[in-house]
Amino acid sequence: MKDQRDTPVTPAGGGFSRRGFIKGVGGAVGVAALGTVARGQDEKEPTGPIKRGGLTIYPAKDVDITLNINGQDTKLHVLPSATLLEVIREQADLTGSKEVCSRGACGACTVLLDGKSINSCLTLAVDAVGKKIKTVEGLSDGDKLDPVQQAFIDHDACQCGYCIPGFVVRSRALLDEFPNADSQQIREGLSGNICRCAAYVRIFEAVGSAAKGGGA
Amino acid sequence: MSYREDNHVAYENEAVRLDIREKVTGKAKYTTDYYPKDMLWAGYIRCPYGVGQLRSFDKDAALKVPGVLEVEITKREGAYAGDRMGHICAESRQAYEAGLAALNAQFRSGFAKTDPKMEMTPLDQIQQPDNLPQANKVLEDAAVVVEATYQTQVQTHCCLEPHIGMVDFKGDHATAWGSTQGTFSFRNDLAGTLGLNNSDVEFHCEYIGGGFGSKFGAGAEGTLAAQMSKKYKRPCRVGLSRKEEQLDSGNRPGSIQMAKIGATKDGKLLGGRVHIAGVVGPTGGGGGARNPSRYNFGTVATTHEDVHLNAGYPRAMRAPGHPQGVFGVEMMMEELAAKLGMDPLEFRLKNDPHENRREMLKVGAEMIGWNRRKPNGSSEGPIKRGLGVAVADWGNGPGGATVTVEVYPDGTVVALSGSQDIGTGFRTMLGDCVLHQMGLPRKFLKVKVGNSTLPPGPASGGSVTSRFVAPKALGAADQARQAILKLVAQEWQTDAAGLSIADGVIRNGSREMAWQQACRLITDDRLTFSSSEDGAFRTRPTDSDAVQFVEVEVDTETGIVRVIKVVALQDVGQPVNRHTVENQITGAVIQGLSFALFEDRTLDPTLGAMVNADMEYYKIAGPADVPKIVPVLWISRDDVSVNSLGEPPVIPTPGAIGCAVFNAIGAPVRQMPITPARVLEAIAGMEGGRA
Repeated sequence: MKDQRDTPVTPAGGGFSRRGFIKGVGGAVGVAALGTVARGQDEKEPTGPIKRGGLTIYPAKDVDITLNINGQDTKLHVLPSATLLEVIREQADLTGSKEVCSRGACGACTVLLDGKSINSCLTLAVDAVGKKIKTVEGLSDGDKLDPVQQAFIDHDACQCGYCIPGFVVRSRALLDEFPNADSQQIREGLSGNICRCAAYVRIFEAVGSAAKGGGA
Repeated sequence: MSYREDNHVAYENEAVRLDIREKVTGKAKYTTDYYPKDMLWAGYIRCPYGVGQLRSFDKDAALKVPGVLEVEITKREGAYAGDRMGHICAESRQAYEAGLAALNAQFRSGFAKTDPKMEMTPLDQIQQPDNLPQANKVLEDAAVVVEATYQTQVQTHCCLEPHIGMVDFKGDHATAWGSTQGTFSFRNDLAGTLGLNNSDVEFHCEYIGGGFGSKFGAGAEGTLAAQMSKKYKRPCRVGLSRKEEQLDSGNRPGSIQMAKIGATKDGKLLGGRVHIAGVVGPTGGGGGARNPSRYNFGTVATTHEDVHLNAGYPRAMRAPGHPQGVFGVEMMMEELAAKLGMDPLEFRLKNDPHENRREMLKVGAEMIGWNRRKPNGSSEGPIKRGLGVAVADWGNGPGGATVTVEVYPDGTVVALSGSQDIGTGFRTMLGDCVLHQMGLPRKFLKVKVGNSTLPPGPASGGSVTSRFVAPKALGAADQARQAILKLVAQEWQTDAAGLSIADGVIRNGSREMAWQQACRLITDDRLTFSSSEDGAFRTRPTDSDAVQFVEVEVDTETGIVRVIKVVALQDVGQPVNRHTVENQITGAVIQGLSFALFEDRTLDPTLGAMVNADMEYYKIAGPADVPKIVPVLWISRDDVSVNSLGEPPVIPTPGAIGCAVFNAIGAPVRQMPITPARVLEAIAGMEGGRA
C-alpha cells in the first residue's frame, strides 16, 4: 500500500460546506468578541446580544430575535449560527425556499432582504434582524399572484419545480432593478440560479413577458 | 408523417401545467418540506477516501452531544468516497451535525483505483467474440476503415431535491414520504424494513424534485429512516447533503469505446470490431453503453467489460447507456463520412434502416439549413461554425397500470393514479387525457397522483409512465362519459347512442344539457370507473425516434464551444399537452448539452475523493449556456397512441454537438466533456499532422 496517511474526517463525510463554515465563524466570533466586551464590566455571563461599534454581538447560545418575514414580525429562538434559510424553513414553516447546494451556487434559497435578492443559505438569521424579508410565499396575496408568478404559469416555466421559488424571487428582484430587462439581461440576471430539469427556455419566456418591454 | 409549425396537439393544447400554481407560490410540499413534531434526524457516517480504513473514532463524545440518541459503526473498510460506515440518529439537525463532528472519525487512506485506463483489461487479453473472424474479414474488404477510441465521463444526476425518506411508524401501520420515481417500489421497500404489509404503509410522493433515474427504491436513506422510526417510535428523516448526493446517489457510468469500423467506397457500412469499457463502482456492473446500434452496421464483433473504480456506484440515468453510446456511434459516423469524402447526412441516410427517421433527417436538415454546411474545418476566421446531426430510437411496449375516474353529483371529475409526477407533467397528461375523452373543460377536473393508496401505476423508468397510463385514463374516462350519457338519455327518454359531449355540454340534436346539470342525475355519492386494460386506446404505437441537428460556434483561439441552435425533432406518438411536451424536449437538449460540454465527476487520482462534490465545480449548464432550441413534435401517424417522451430527446444531443465541433474545427474531439483544452489539443494535433 502506498500513500497511506491519517487524516481527520470532517462532519458529514469530510470537506467544508460554506454553510458549515459561516456557522462555525458565527459562533466563534460571537464568543470571542463577547468575551472581550464582557471582561471588566460584569463577571456574569451575558445572556443577550450586545451592541458595540455598529455591530451586534451575540453569545454562542440560543437567542431571541424578531424577524420581519413577509410583513409580519415573527419572534424566534435561534442559535446565532443558524442560517436564515434554516430558520424560515424549519421554524417559520415557510418551505417554499429550498436548500439545494448549501453554498450559494444554485439560487434555490433566494429571498428578498430589503428588496434585494440574496442567498438565504449564506446569510445568518441574526443578520436579518431589522430588515424586511420576503420569501416566495410573500409574493402572492391569496389568489392574487405577482405578475412574475402568473407569467411562470402561463409559459410553463417549471418542471419538477424544486428550483422555481428561487427563480421566481430572483426574477422579481431582477425586474425591480431592470423593469425593461432585455433577453441578455434576463439570462445574465438569472445566472446565479440552476434548474436541473433545464426548463430555461420557458423561464426566459416567462420573465421576458413579465418585463415591461416584453423582454425583447 | 408530418409536423405542424405551431406544435398543435390533439388533447388540451394550451392548458397550463396542472400543479404549476402550487410550484410558483412555494405551496407545493416536497418530502424535504415536512418537519413533523418530534422528528428525528439521522444520517450516515461516510468514508472520505476511495479506499479508507476507519482507524479511530470517539463514540462516547458523540453520544455526549445533547440530543444524540444513537451512534453505530457498521464497518471499518470503505471502498469509495461516500461509502457508508455507520450512522448517527439525533433529535435535531444541530445535534446530528454536532454528533458527527464530535465522533472525530479518523481514516487511513489506501490505494484507490481512479483511472479506468489503468484498470481495464488490455484488448488483446479480452475473451474474443465468436464472430471476430467474420468481423476481421469485413475490415479487410472495406475501402475505408476508421479506428478510434471515444471516451465519455461520469455524470451525476444532481437532482435538486436530495434523496430523502421520512417514515412515521405507528406500530401496526406507518405513514411515509419519499422523493422517488416509484411510489410503489419505495413503499414496498419500507414495508419490508418495517415488517409491515404493503397495505399498512401509506406512502406519499405528491411532489418530487427530480429523479432522472436515481430514485426508484427506498435506498439507504429510506431504509435508515424506517429503522430509526421503528426503533424510537417517532418520525425520522434521512436526507442527503449535496456532497453526499454527489458521492453516493448514483451516476451515469463513464465509458471508453474502442471502435474499428469499415465501409465500402460508396458509403455502405460493413462492420468491424467494437469494445466498450464501462466505468463503474468498486463492485457490480451497469456500465453498458449502447454502441453500435441504430444504423445498419453490418457485421460487428462487440465485447464489453465493466471496469471497477473506488468511486460511487452507477444507477440508471435518463436513457441509461444511450447518450454515451450515441456519442461514440455518431463520432464514428462523422469520421467515416470525412474519410469517404461524403456528406455526413447523406452517409446517415444511406445507413439508417428506419424510414420514419430518414424522413425526420430530411425535414430537420431543411430546418437547420444543412445546405449551409461547409467542409470540415473550412469556415473562415478564428470563430468557426459547424453543423452536426445525431439520432436516437426508443421502443414502446405496453405495460400495466390502473386509472380510476370518479364523477361527483356536483360535476367534479377526479382522475386517480398512484404513479408519481417527477416533473415530466404526468399529472397534467393524466388529467388532459380524461378531459379529452369526456369532452369537458378544465374547471371540472381534479387529479390526484403520487400516493400509494391510489390505483397502482408504473415507476417512472424507461419512459413508460404516460405510455402505460394514458390508455387506461382514456378507457376509464370513456366509461364515465358513457355512464353520464346513459343517465341523460334516460332523462330524455331517448337512445344514448345519439348523445355527445363537447365543451361540457351534452347534446342530442337541438337538445342540450350542461355537464353539472347532468351530474345531478347521479343518485349515489359518486360514480367510480376504473380501467386496467389498454383495449382500443393503444393504437398503432410508433418508436419514439429522435433526430437532432446542432449548430455550434467554436472559438479556435480559446477553445470555447457555444451551441447556437438545436432543432430537436421528436416522435412522441400522440402528444397530449404542448407545454409539458415541448418543455421536456428542450430541457432534455440542455441536459445533453450540459453532459457534452461541462459535467465531469473528477476524482483525486490518489485519494479517490471526488474533488467537485458540489454545484460550483461540478459544472451544470446554466442560463447563459442555453441555445435557441426548436422543438418539433413529429406526428408519424394521426391515429397513434401516447408513446414515450422522457428519455429519447436527451440521447442525440452530445453526439450531435461532437459532430458539429468536428465540422467546425476539422478535427474530432473524441473525449467528453468537450472542454476548451480538448478543443485546443485537437486543433494542435491537426496542425501538427497527427489528425
